[in-house]
Amino acid sequence: METDLKNTLRELLIALADDELILGHRDSEWCSHAPILEEDIAFANLALDEIGHANLWYSLSAELEEAESQSYVDRIVFWRDAPDFRNIQMVELPNGDWAFSMLRQYLFDSAEIERLNVLAESAFAPLAETAAKIRTEEHYHLRHTRLWLRRLGLGTAESRQRLQAALDQLWPYTGQLFELPGERDHLLGLGIKMAQASPSWEAQVIPFLSECQLALPAGARRALNRQGHTRHLAVLLNEMQSVARLDPEAEW
Amino acid sequence: MVDDTQLPRFQVFVQGKSNSPFLDYGSVHAPDAELALLNARDVFARRPECVAMLVVPTECIFSKTAQELLDWESAPVSEAAESRETYHVFAKPKHAGTQTLLGQVEASSPEQALQLALERYKKPAFAWWVFPARLALSSQVQDIPSLYAPAREKHFRLSVDYKTVTAMRKLRQTDRDD
Repeated sequence: METDLKNTLRELLIALADDELILGHRDSEWCSHAPILEEDIAFANLALDEIGHANLWYSLSAELEEAESQSYVDRIVFWRDAPDFRNIQMVELPNGDWAFSMLRQYLFDSAEIERLNVLAESAFAPLAETAAKIRTEEHYHLRHTRLWLRRLGLGTAESRQRLQAALDQLWPYTGQLFELPGERDHLLGLGIKMAQASPSWEAQVIPFLSECQLALPAGARRALNRQGHTRHLAVLLNEMQSVARLDPEAEW
Repeated sequence: MVDDTQLPRFQVFVQGKSNSPFLDYGSVHAPDAELALLNARDVFARRPECVAMLVVPTECIFSKTAQELLDWESAPVSEAAESRETYHVFAKPKHAGTQTLLGQVEASSPEQALQLALERYKKPAFAWWVFPARLALSSQVQDIPSLYAPAREKHFRLSVDYKTVTAMRKLRQTDRDD
């Protein structure tokens, strides 16, 4: 593979993995705090799924680098600092309330399925196969969050008001959902045609949000690149990496 | 007594393989059947084997134990065919057994469904459950890939996937050797 394509591919894999890892970690923070026991288990499962997906992407990147997978993944997860992470900002925001976490999960997963649909058509077979594999699980995530959003949106005045507040906060960040690193030409060289993903996402998400009695915020959706982060990421990493950094030589 | 503020309870039945009967796995709380089905998946199908699930509000299950059947006078069988509907029939073969799906009967009341089931299945059971199929919600074949199949590859959910036990044994061994 040409160096340019390889670099783009590596950046892409890290970006995809970082999204999943950081969201998975946020989701895991609900463990033992969810509103009911059943949701606690469901959300912990979901957190594990996302972290599992991150692992798949990181491992693919390790393969590309011809590095030993486990030590590569450990290094990249536990020994990078915030400025080196390439996740979008939406996933690093603190959990807020149940409505916020459910809505974020929905916005992300629905976009992820669109991204995966594109990636599953990629000319790079390992990427395409991994995307197809992850996609089946995301369909379940989406089903779960859609059920909740409908119930919160059409539920009580308080549940709807909380969901609307969450949308007002999250909507500007959705501009980043389809921002991928790498030159567009290089992505096209890998058979990745992301241009169709965003309109297709809007076509299904916007009607669904209105079905949930939510008003779409008027403000702009910021198309930020993946270099910048909110102050929340460093706080999250500080906790996530603390045990690994206590004893770098420890065997797990 | 403290009021139960929890969401309604749904009984969960799991089918392990496509040709095996649904078995009672326990219950989950959920606002409605749709969410109960998803909650059931997370609580009971985290590990294989599962190809389908069925949930029903626990309060809709008509139940009789063998003991209760001794002085049970069944209701007269209604001839009104139009009010008949399908009931699922479950029985628990013995005290320590599990409620297992035996089949379906057409009846116009839970009492009649049980009566018909006793006549049809003619076997001793520790307890019987019947409920209208109309009130139950089950997963579909097309749900398998996203709901149940991924569990097969999730070895990290199994305790054997962790080296902790071996590591602890080694530590203890070292302690003893010292």
